[in-house]
Amino acid sequence: MTSAQERSDLMGKLGLNVQNRAAIGRLLNSGNVGEAKEHGDGRMTATIRINPDELTWDPQILVMPHGGDIELELINDDQNTHCALLPSNGDRKFIWLVNHSRGRATLNLDGPGCYWYSSPTGNDEGRGLTGAIVVLGDVPPEARLDRPDQPRP
Amino acid sequence: MTVEYVDAGEAIDQGDLSGKHGTAPPVVEGVTYERILEARSEPQNWLTYYGAYNGQRFSPLDQINTENVKRIGPAWVFQAGSSGMIAGASTYAFEAAPLVVDGVMFVSGWDGWVWALNAATGNEIWRYKHATPYDVSLCCGNVNRGVAVAKGKVFSVTPNAHLIALDATTGKKLWDRTYGDVRAGESATCAPLIVKNLVIVGSSGGEFGVRGHLDAFDLDSGEHAWRCYMVPKPGEPGSDTWPSEGQAWARGGGNCWLTGTFDPETNLLYWGTGNPAPDFDGEVREGDNLYTDSIVAIDADAGEIRWHYQCTPHDVWDYDSISECILFEHEGRKLLGHFDKNGYFFVVDRTNGELVRITPFVDRIDWGNITRDGKVTPSRYPEKEGEPVHFFPGPAGAKEWTHAAYNPETELFYVPVQDVGATATRRRREFKESIPYWGAGVQVDIEDMTGYVSAYDANGEEKWRWRAKLPMCASVLTTGGGLVFAGEPNGMFNALDARTGEHLWQFQCGSGHHSSPVSYSVDGRQFVAVPVGWGGWAEGFLPGMLGAGHGSALMVFALPPE
Repeated sequence: MTSAQERSDLMGKLGLNVQNRAAIGRLLNSGNVGEAKEHGDGRMTATIRINPDELTWDPQILVMPHGGDIELELINDDQNTHCALLPSNGDRKFIWLVNHSRGRATLNLDGPGCYWYSSPTGNDEGRGLTGAIVVLGDVPPEARLDRPDQPRP
Repeated sequence: MTVEYVDAGEAIDQGDLSGKHGTAPPVVEGVTYERILEARSEPQNWLTYYGAYNGQRFSPLDQINTENVKRIGPAWVFQAGSSGMIAGASTYAFEAAPLVVDGVMFVSGWDGWVWALNAATGNEIWRYKHATPYDVSLCCGNVNRGVAVAKGKVFSVTPNAHLIALDATTGKKLWDRTYGDVRAGESATCAPLIVKNLVIVGSSGGEFGVRGHLDAFDLDSGEHAWRCYMVPKPGEPGSDTWPSEGQAWARGGGNCWLTGTFDPETNLLYWGTGNPAPDFDGEVREGDNLYTDSIVAIDADAGEIRWHYQCTPHDVWDYDSISECILFEHEGRKLLGHFDKNGYFFVVDRTNGELVRITPFVDRIDWGNITRDGKVTPSRYPEKEGEPVHFFPGPAGAKEWTHAAYNPETELFYVPVQDVGATATRRRREFKESIPYWGAGVQVDIEDMTGYVSAYDANGEEKWRWRAKLPMCASVLTTGGGLVFAGEPNGMFNALDARTGEHLWQFQCGSGHHSSPVSYSVDGRQFVAVPVGWGGWAEGFLPGMLGAGHGSALMVFALPPE
């Protein structure tokens, strides 16, 4: 078993945190973690980038403090064209991100859990451009079971 | 030198890039409770999950009949495959029963999809996609059994236990209510049922040690009307069937993960309930464990249980009683027919729950015995820790959730049968929320299995049997054309003579059947529609077909145009 620091060191040593050293692409979910910003009016915002030649989203794991609407700024700093397919209630949101472009997406995610997002072109998804949006919190009180608190893992 | 970014603009709906048409005619505006009550007087439509409140899955349409069914072929195909990742990518299945209202079809898929299609051509009109957590707890696959329609709205549940109301013309969300706790392992898979001004939905998650419930919401506003738990709290009626000490009741299961039926004369909803939890370790929940594995009759206005009939007291085989409760009349009595996972066909008086008849409908039953007067005697079950026990039927049951049908013209029930066993080895585990709570390791047989469609009369006499090579894992449909349609796990879609069982027609759909076919007509042309997409809990009902390819097509058949 490895500790968090050992894991980071080992991933660097083995080349699991870059593209085309260990794996052919970039190991999924080996990128950064970021938190959405919550504003006083309840809006949530975040910026997600694709850095040059990293083939990962930055952050690759975006954490929302709770369900609701979030406004994303999407920046492709890479020298290749990608796109983004993002989860949202109603329909998934799609945006084409040519080299050195910047766009926006407004998402609605209504409850706790891990939602994926990706660049659905070529095999961007398998090569590293698959990320996660994690929504924290619980379901509304009225949706919970009428029972005593139960143990969780 | 700084180079300005190219403005990529605002992300758009993925569906805008699909060629869909956009707006459906307002056909659902006039769908009221009164029309659903008389649903079978509109044979061109399929207005509610079972076609009518009585759960018979009978279409009066007779353009396609025993004489000409051999001439039917595909009229159109809707391919529902989508891009990107989905929860339960290896267990999704196309399990819905499409609804049709005056030429528009409304059908749900896995992972939060709902579509409106032109029912004559298959062209997509609009789509709705609910964002589904990739990590949502799903016992048995990423599936959904269908939608409900009324008063201009389409209602659907989502894998993360929301009930949503969509505008039937645009697919835009009108309201959204959370009615289950994903952190407790709850989810939702059932088709909602409209009764009066209520939309009624049950919860899934019985394999995670939740407390099953049925909920009703006002269909206009989404306001919560009532919740009925299927496991009583201490002190409530039925609580003496649970251990008096501890919290077994709080984790007791009894989920209503399918759709019920309704009789306006009794004002009762008839709902089947799921297995107790943990599924196979009965020692931690001594007693009969009401109201699990039961047919429950619930007052539609009050949301209170009026009577119950428990099919498998103290279940330790995973024999949910969730299957349909088919309402029919026989010899002047108002009856209810129910084919249970435990291998017995129950007929009860639906006014009071009194047992009328019990008949075994599968050849191999060795888990125990139920006598004609309803006395249950278990004989083979996982009792000792670590000791494997084999029993028939396996945990998917002699009939899984997929539905039987009743034809009022032949007065016969048609039941898809799975004759397959399993071995369970009790392994006790500590309960923790969101962790599967089975209490055993289970392996379903991959050899020595068979299946058939059997026809039974109301007295429990088998009138004919059509044998298949594999267990029959899909709902059947019967029609006024004297037909029974039945899909097989190998992809074959079959038409049988409803009176004799003679095999009349088949078509290879390319993927296994695990859904509910329906029939409707548009401009006088009859169609038979069947979603095809193998998956779900295949390891539970037919592991011998775990390696079969998934599909995602809605196949629609008709006679050639005149």
